[in-house]
Order: sequence, then structure tokens, then C-alpha cells
Amino acid sequence: MDQTSSTEDFIRQLAEHQNRLYGYVYSLVGDHSRAADVVQETNLVLWRKIGEFDSDKPFLPWAFAIARFQVLAHLRDRKRERMLLDESLVETLSAEAGQQATQIDSLREALRQCLQRLQPDHRDLIERRYYRSMSVADVANALDRTVSAVKVALLRVRRQLAGCVQKRLAAES
Amino acid sequence: MSGRIEELELLLLAWEDGTLDDDGLERLRGILRTDEAARSHFLQMQMLTAALRLEGDAGLALPDVETLGVDAAPPPRKAPPSRDRARRAYRLAAIVAGLLVCLLTGRLAWLELTHEPAASLTLTRRAVGQPTEEPTSLGIALVTQLVDVDWGDGQDAVEVGDALSPGRFAIRSGFAQIEFFCGATVILEGPAEIDLESAMQATVRNGRLRAHVPPAARGFALNVGDMKVVDLGTEFGLSVSPEGADVQVFDGEVEVQNRTDERRRVTAGRGLVRKPGGEIEETAATADEFVDFADLEARAQNQQDSRYARWKTWSESIRSDPRLIACYMFDEPDSRRRVLESSLLPTNPELDGAIVGARRVPGRWDHKGALEFKRPGDQVRVQIPGEYGSLTFACWARIDSLDRWYNSLFLTDGYEQGEPHWQILDSGKIHFSIRAHERKTKEAPHRVIQSPSFWKPALSGRWIHLATVFDIETGRVSHYLNGRVLNRQTIPKTLLPEQTRIGAAAIGNWSMPTKPDAPFAIRNLNGRIDELLLFSAALGDDEIRDIYENGKP
Repeated sequence: MDQTSSTEDFIRQLAEHQNRLYGYVYSLVGDHSRAADVVQETNLVLWRKIGEFDSDKPFLPWAFAIARFQVLAHLRDRKRERMLLDESLVETLSAEAGQQATQIDSLREALRQCLQRLQPDHRDLIERRYYRSMSVADVANALDRTVSAVKVALLRVRRQLAGCVQKRLAAES
Repeated sequence: MSGRIEELELLLLAWEDGTLDDDGLERLRGILRTDEAARSHFLQMQMLTAALRLEGDAGLALPDVETLGVDAAPPPRKAPPSRDRARRAYRLAAIVAGLLVCLLTGRLAWLELTHEPAASLTLTRRAVGQPTEEPTSLGIALVTQLVDVDWGDGQDAVEVGDALSPGRFAIRSGFAQIEFFCGATVILEGPAEIDLESAMQATVRNGRLRAHVPPAARGFALNVGDMKVVDLGTEFGLSVSPEGADVQVFDGEVEVQNRTDERRRVTAGRGLVRKPGGEIEETAATADEFVDFADLEARAQNQQDSRYARWKTWSESIRSDPRLIACYMFDEPDSRRRVLESSLLPTNPELDGAIVGARRVPGRWDHKGALEFKRPGDQVRVQIPGEYGSLTFACWARIDSLDRWYNSLFLTDGYEQGEPHWQILDSGKIHFSIRAHERKTKEAPHRVIQSPSFWKPALSGRWIHLATVFDIETGRVSHYLNGRVLNRQTIPKTLLPEQTRIGAAAIGNWSMPTKPDAPFAIRNLNGRIDELLLFSAALGDDEIRDIYENGKP
């Protein structure tokens, strides 16, 4: 493959795997804006390392390895900020995170179907919390409910969603 | 659910909300350090949250890559001059830089990069959010019959069953039957041009029509210039040409309102001609100048017969296509056998399917057969030996509704390496997958290739042609509806099987080899199938189009 088409292939793969990279990084840092930053840094590093890219080899393991370094670097650079996981937990979890992140497109598809089956008020809860990034307190305020009631409801709806998604994924394979 | 998992979920929720204290954080990490099941559960929850974030529009704008132009074939093999190559590389770098900048600023809403024909990247964001309102539809009338219609240049082809919205409806020749939502039925004879205005009203610009207005639709009105023909529950003809407008009443009564607010009643057997100058002349009605409903029915039957005959001729020739590995024409409507005959030539009874549950019903044409799949067990069992490379699936189906998660078209039993599954999701997307790896390996089993959603409730009960082409050389999968490409995507090399196989499979359902008393997933199609072709080759767009054109009812 000549160099130009190899570059094209790289770009295609990089773009194609953005969601998987995001899922991988998010699961290890547990924060949306940090995850978006780390994915960005990972994109840049991958682009700089384009010389190592081999279009005959799977792209994702390579990208995940670099993303893992970026997550660890992120933890080290921001020692003063509170992080969800420490370095050793990131190491422990990264392999399985990679496996799960590979399936994020199927997961999203399943999730879409499951969201449609939620009761309207439950879906509203999810939309407020995750689409509009409202805090639990704000959601409670807006709905005129107590914080703990919203927490309990969120936990329950998430559990319901998780169960539905797992069932769908199991049905697919 | 164990107490630790529940505790973990609570801690995680607090973390996400920014309300987790240091003790809580340490507790969360402690659980993860010591409990493997909790770690798996943690990652599942995290992946779900990530997916929710991607679904929502929480200020992030990662490209939705499912629709990325993965269609890129390798670029032409001619060696470009070095300057050209440098320019291309520069342009690619610019694309990447642009992509990254967009990601950084979170503003990538819709970006189309079409500089490179070989690598045209289209990034689109999926419409966010879920429907929260009752589904709606549009229209004021339905097309219920089309006979020998030639659409003029200004008119998009319309199909029987389509709803019409306000606007111009024109045919160059042939007959179109339109049922207004108020209950009035109009047969238009081409050339004709009519402006649909509401469920009760239209303006006739030119052409000849017959209207039947039952009592429930009384008040239905047709305008001709400044003249208005209001129906009082009847059947009448109207012909509009540069020579004037001719109203003839065959049954009941109509009221003709003129510019001068003059109203005239015209009764059965009478007619009225308005000359271009405005003068009005009374005449007798001549009903046989207007095509009536029985006549249209006969013409429709003729058209059916000739289309069926065309399909029959075509089907005779396709049956011996050497690339076919399975071919079922469902053309034995009167058979009482519970066998779906293989239509492949030379004949091979080994390929006959066994009908389970499914009922014999009329197909695309009255004299052609089909099978109806309704109940959870309904299916046709087939056994197709051999190993293949590329595959093409094509079928005529009449779907009543998509009420299962997965609505089966053609699926191998179980799902082993090299086996394809062809089905439709409840969201209306064609869902194609082929297992790449053995079950034991840890690798992802496949890459699912879905079409965009093609389904709308108005398609319910209409015959549609669905096809999917899988090219094993390039990994490219193309989905088709009614002869047109819906989309193409490529399965990455690492998720391509070396060979494909069918073996035991089901039409219209999915059979999992399970214990006799185990429950099974309900995946039956709710609808009919009346033709299924399976080729051991990747057919081209033209060939799919050809199958559609020769088979459309």
C-alpha cells in the first residue's frame, strides 16, 4: 500500500474508532470533560506516531495502548485533583475496558432501543442527568423532589437500562 | 444483586455527581481492588454512562463514526507524480488537523470532506434524543390504484399506498385512483394535472376525472378556475381542457357555483359545459366517456397479469443463474404440501424447505403464492450445504409491523464462524452480520453493518424489495430497498471470515439449538415473503435494480 492510501486508512480508522476510544477512556477516568481531553491527546499522539501505523494490523489494540498511557499521564499530571481510579487500578482494569469498549456501537444501538421502552418520566430523568448534564440536586429541584428520591430513581432506572442492554447484547450474539 | 455491587453503584453515582467524599472514594477503590465481579460490573456501568453521554448532546461532539465513509476502496493504482502526492498528503494532513480541531472545540456537528474521491469522509451526527411524542404522519389523500401511469417530468413517481400531501399531482398518461381522507374517490385519466388542497378540496387544472362521493364525504369540492363543483353525494365526471369545463352527473346531484355567485344544481343524467368565455350550456350526461371503477379494476387486473407474466419470464431465466445457491419463488399457491419447493435449476429436492407454521397466502399478485409468518414459531427450515465467499441476499417481503427486537429474514441456526444473519431491527434498520471468529476466542465476534432506518408505518402491508450484498474481498456490505442503495459500509479485515456457509437455516425466523424445554427468543417476521434469492457472489447495483424492476408488483 502506498503512503497516501495508508494515511487515508489511518484517518479512516482513527475516526471510526473515536467512540470506542471515548468509551475506553471514560470508563477509566469517569468524567466526561477529562475523557474528551484524554481522547484528544490520544488522537494527537496517534497522529504523531503515524509512522508506526500498519494498516494490516488491528488498529484498536494499538490505539488503546496509547490511550492507556495518556490516561496514566493524565493521572500523574493532575496529582492535586481527585481522580476516580489510581494508577494500579487503571492497569488492572484496562484490558477488560478495552474488550468492552470494542462493543460500544452495539451497546449504543441496544441502549437506544432500551431508552425507547422506558417510561416517559424515567427517560426524562436520564435525559436531564446525562444529556443535559444536570446535577442530581438540580434535577431534584427541577422536578420538585428530594435529592435522595432522585438518587434512588436514577439508580433504579440505570439498573433497568443496564439489564435491558445486557439482554439485548446477549440476544445479538 | 450483592450488597457490594449496590454500594458500588451508589458510590459511582455520587462520584459522577461530584458529591463523593474522600472516604467514599477510598471505599469505591477498595471494592474494585478486591472484587473481580465488582470490577466487571463497574466497567459495564461506565460503558453504559459513556454510551449515554455519546447519545446525549452533553456539549460533546465526537463524530458518529458509524456513517463514516468506510466505503473507501483503495485509490487507483497509478503512481501519482510526486508533487501530486505531496499535495494529497498535505490535504490529508489538513483533513486530520481539521478533524482534531473540530473535536477539540466540540463543534463538529456535520462535516463533509469530499476532496478525495477515494477517501470521502462523511461525518454526521445522529439525530439526538428519542421520540417522546405520538408518531405522526402527513397527507390528505391516498393513492390506491395506478394503471399504466407515465409520470411527467415534474412529478416524482408515487406508489400505490403512498399518502399525498397538498400540492400538484400530475400524470402524463394512464389512470390514478386517489382516495381523499374525507372519503371521496377520484379516478384521474392522464394527461391530468390537479392541485390537492385539503382532504375535502382540490383544483383541477386539466384532464378528465370521475369522482365518487359517498354520503359521508358530502361537500367534497373541485375547483376549476373560479368555478366550484360541490358534490351533494353522488357520482360525477369532470373534464377540463382549454375548450372549457364539462361537468356530468351520473348519479345524485351536484351544485355548480360560478364566479357571479350563481348556483346551479345539476341532477343525474344531466351535464353542464362552461365555455372559456364563461357562457354555460346544458347538455345530457355521457357516462361512458369517463372511465368508471369497474373499468379501472379490469385495467388494473390486466396490468397485474402483464407484470406477473413479466416476472414469470424473468424468474424462469434467473433460476439457472450459476451463482445462485438458493432460490425460492413461492410460486405454488394452491399446493397443500408443507414444502417450499426450491426453484433452483437444475432441480434439487434436497434444497426444498420445510414449512413450519407459516400459512400459504397470496403474494405480490393474486395468482402468485407467498408465505405468511405471524406466530413465534412460524418459519421455513432449509438446509443449504457448501462453503462460499461473497453473498447476496434478496427478497420480496410484505411487512405488517416490526414488533420484535429482531425481525428475521434469513438466519442460520445458531451463529457460528462464517454464518450470516440477515434481519431487521425494530427501529427499521436492516441488520447484517457474519460471525468472523470462533466462539472460544476473546476477539469481537463480528462487525454488524446496519442500514439507516428505512421503515415508516406507511410501508406496512406493502410489498417491498430488500437486498444486502456482502463482498468478502473488500469487506463491503451494501443494503438496498426497492433496488436503490440505502448505504454501504465496510467490515474491517480483522472481522472478516475466510469463508461463508449456511447449513441449517430458517426463512422468516431464527432457530437456536436449545434444550426442548428452554424458552426461545421471539424473532419471527410479522409479514409475508414471496421470493428469496441467495447468491454466492456480490451482485452489482444494476443487478439488484434489475431484480426489483422485474419483480415489482
